[in-house]
Amino acid sequence: MSAGSHPGTRLGLLRRDRSGRWIAGVCAGIARRYGIDAALVRLAFVIATAAGGLGIALYALAWLVIPAGDAPRRRRLPTGRGAVEVALGTGLLLLSVLLAFRELGLWFSDPVVWPLVLIASGGALIWRGSATAAPAPAEAPTAPLVRKDEPERQRLAGVAAAASRTGLGIALVVAAGFAFLQATGALSAARDVVLTLVAVVVVLGAISAPWILRLVRSLTEERTQRIRSQERAEMAAHLHDSVLQTLALVQRRSGDPQVAALARRQERELRAWLAERPGPGRGSRLEPALEAAAAAVEESHGVPVEVVVVGDRELDPAVEALVAATREAMTNAAKFGAGSPVDVYAESNAGGLRVFVRDRGPGFDPSALPPDRRGVRESIVGRMRRHGGRATITSSPETGTEVELELPARSDR
Amino acid sequence: MRAGRPDIPALVAGLAILALGGVLLLDSLGAIELSFGWFAPLACAVVGAILLANGLARRE
Repeated sequence: MSAGSHPGTRLGLLRRDRSGRWIAGVCAGIARRYGIDAALVRLAFVIATAAGGLGIALYALAWLVIPAGDAPRRRRLPTGRGAVEVALGTGLLLLSVLLAFRELGLWFSDPVVWPLVLIASGGALIWRGSATAAPAPAEAPTAPLVRKDEPERQRLAGVAAAASRTGLGIALVVAAGFAFLQATGALSAARDVVLTLVAVVVVLGAISAPWILRLVRSLTEERTQRIRSQERAEMAAHLHDSVLQTLALVQRRSGDPQVAALARRQERELRAWLAERPGPGRGSRLEPALEAAAAAVEESHGVPVEVVVVGDRELDPAVEALVAATREAMTNAAKFGAGSPVDVYAESNAGGLRVFVRDRGPGFDPSALPPDRRGVRESIVGRMRRHGGRATITSSPETGTEVELELPARSDR
Repeated sequence: MRAGRPDIPALVAGLAILALGGVLLLDSLGAIELSFGWFAPLACAVVGAILLANGLARRE
């Protein structure tokens, strides 16, 4: 009767695990079935092979007897104290098998087998440590404003355990090397080589220590920045979905212009903070200056002013004049635009700076401006001309009014 | 007496120690010659079996 004919029995559930196989999936299948680490089972077969070649015969037999197929369910590996006990118990059982083989004479030689056992054990520990220490896929925090210390502590504990396993594995492999060299009488020759290597490593370490230290610090800082950036993005998404939407709703639904203006100012400040740029009026750059001017016009006239800036730049006297002209154009649009929203679009690039201020009011005839309207003539057109730029006003009853302010690059003024 | 599943780790430990005691008794009676070369793997097997049974049972 085949082993797979009784699915309810313990033996009936044993299958070769082809998905996790190295050769035929015997070790992976046994590990899955009994909920132990596959590395331990592989280690057992390797050690049994070292002691007289029995492992190969056992593996071949298991290959023939155990049917292939995916295991019905993946059992959780023992963790913590249970994992340590399973590993120690398996190790002691393997040791007993080895000692028994040695006593029976099924043995290659001590200088070969014991270092091989140590290397296999150390390799299994290193393998397990590297598998555990692999970073888990980043999960988006569901509540970014709440600190989650507990999962972080567990993650750090897992990393520490993996590091200690890896360290023990490396120590075992190094010990195996020493044991082999000692047994073969090559240790004294190797000692000179090792001393030379140690001296070279120490000298190179002393020379490159500052760079290594800087690299480590840089990597740490980069990681910190990345985490902060991710948290900030999560918080921005959260605020966008909640607070900013509410502020936008308040602006649309509120009948009180003052409440709408207040909500708009808060929205603007919050957006500036989320984008890590200075708030309106703070700093010496174009975008906050335009935002501040728009906020002031909104507060004075109760008309929403939407500002979009592409390509920020530092303020200089000419750019400050352009900001002042833009503010004047916004004020005119708010005063004469019949309450329509004012759109401001600014674009800065290597070729210069252009700002468009548009409203959807009734419009006017720019050529028929009365002489006493100094706001347009002096504060907008004249101001731009004095700083090497120009202002163009386009207006019609159908499309409203658009003021285009253009400032060429500094070298062309 | 409470009926239920047997305590596997205790059972394994008991049987292993019983086997070890049996072997030592046979050695004392002169029925077998137990050298250190055979006692060492036997002791390792007993301790290993107990630890393995405990470890596997702990995750249940």
